[in-house]
Amino acid sequence: MKIGFIGLGVMGGPMVGHLRAAGHDLAVWARRPESAAALVAEGVLLCATPAELAARSEVVITIVTASADVEALAFGAQGLAEGFAPGAVHVDMSTIAPATARVLAERYAERGIGWVDAPVSGGGQGARDATLAIMAGAEAATLARVRPLLGVLGKRIVHIGPPGAGQVAKACNQMIMVSAIQACAEAFRLAGAHGVDKAAVLRALAGGSAGSRVLEVMGAKMVERDFAAGVEARLHHKDFAILMEEAARLGAPLPVAAQVWQQLDALMGAGWGRDDTASLLRVLEG
Amino acid sequence: MDVGFIGLGLMGRPMALNLLKAGHRVQVWSRRRESMQPLLEAGAGDCASAAEVARRAAVTISMVADAPDVEQVTLGPDGVADGAAPGHIHIDMSTIAPAAAQSIAARLSVRGVLALDAPVSGGEPGAIAGTLTIMVGGDADACARVQPLFEAMGKSITRIGEAGAGQVAKACNQIITGVGVAAVAEALNFASKSGVDGAKVREALLGGFAYSRILENHGQRMLERNFRPGFKAWMHQKDVRIVMAEAHRLGVALPTAAATAQLFNGMIGCGMGEDDSVAMLKLLERMSGGVGE
Repeated sequence: MKIGFIGLGVMGGPMVGHLRAAGHDLAVWARRPESAAALVAEGVLLCATPAELAARSEVVITIVTASADVEALAFGAQGLAEGFAPGAVHVDMSTIAPATARVLAERYAERGIGWVDAPVSGGGQGARDATLAIMAGAEAATLARVRPLLGVLGKRIVHIGPPGAGQVAKACNQMIMVSAIQACAEAFRLAGAHGVDKAAVLRALAGGSAGSRVLEVMGAKMVERDFAAGVEARLHHKDFAILMEEAARLGAPLPVAAQVWQQLDALMGAGWGRDDTASLLRVLEG
Repeated sequence: MDVGFIGLGLMGRPMALNLLKAGHRVQVWSRRRESMQPLLEAGAGDCASAAEVARRAAVTISMVADAPDVEQVTLGPDGVADGAAPGHIHIDMSTIAPAAAQSIAARLSVRGVLALDAPVSGGEPGAIAGTLTIMVGGDADACARVQPLFEAMGKSITRIGEAGAGQVAKACNQIITGVGVAAVAEALNFASKSGVDGAKVREALLGGFAYSRILENHGQRMLERNFRPGFKAWMHQKDVRIVMAEAHRLGVALPTAAATAQLFNGMIGCGMGEDDSVAMLKLLERMSGGVGE
């Protein structure tokens, strides 16, 4: 399939590799063309604009930072919408506001272009291993067309509902995951305050009812005081602003998430936004 | 002074009436024409647009719901900037985000309009009595020139700093009042669930270190179960959302305000948005097994 790809970061880089290995014909566009240099050297086509990328692709996959980035890529000057032929599909794998996903899907539908919001969970490791969990919001027929592509990138692909629904699931994912990171940070802060061996606590808890993926991965980072990003904390901070604002709009109280958000604000204020979210431990150490 | 007033709701109407009472010539326009009626009857001039208000006055005041409304009436089509002569002063007394106030002030200044942000505290009773607290951001000279207008509407008038500074002070006010309403509601609900007379508790506490205007006024309304607005819960929620978004932008932790914001979310979700924010008591009762004795 002729695929366009935008967003060659920690997540996008390995995803491009998997799609090429599966035999797809890939082209890319990059805001900073130098970030595509290695791919160009391997013969991947680098397009001059998103519109040009869309014009030569059946499906364009994007994975970028913020709602505004996706809006600009889709409907900005020389955006994807200008290039897509009717019947093409934009698969956005970024984490953005559900409301933005719904609006973009409607605007594309007016032009006969398909939309899938397909945010992922699993981080850089999941992207490299092609074991991402993918949460899709789309019309069923549209999703069916791109499902083989998503199958190359992830292990579990769940159709949550219409456009925007994938982003709702992702918001739920972020809320549970970061709240669990905060709980781990508090547990290790308490263990540290008592002066007991944190590594031993981690080993013991991993086998019991408090065991979880977050405890295993983030707990280990906290014990080793390894605060180098996996996923940069500023991205979780951004996700919380989106989900808390949506909760306010909908009249849904999220008392724990609200507190986690404030800890993330404190983390940002301390200047650790580009470090790992395991830095929530450092917030508690004052 | 020739002054225009835009936005004649719960707060704007009594504020504009006080300007008339103080002898100022007042021009009015409102999106909902029926809200203009009480002002027209009291002698205000009838305008067909915000631009016309600005043409017929040296100073315009807006008191509307949120930043997009302020944008619309000042910079939108037929807005204040379209009718204002050079040197015109626009005072926005709505509660909006500090960053939005700065951006609007900058764009008005390009069109020759001096902008002040002057949000208020004191609620509808303060607006009726002309005893509002007014927090001003913007040019010091412009602020001095409109002092007589502020004095007709408020009692305590403080210039905080440059554009947006008034809104920062208001955000601080909303942190303290939002958390304060929640604290008083929790205390009175706790008293009632403990089988103790909340009215006696309030009376005792008024003499001590927990005294506050909120305990006195809002506490009384909670005891009377008077949930008529006043200050609607959805407005209070909006103000707290502005504060939380600014804190997010700045990397500032507001854990207590964040907890309060969730209670406001709960009120909206339970259909209490149109009640006064003191209806938070009802939400806490639901979270505690129902209404206490």
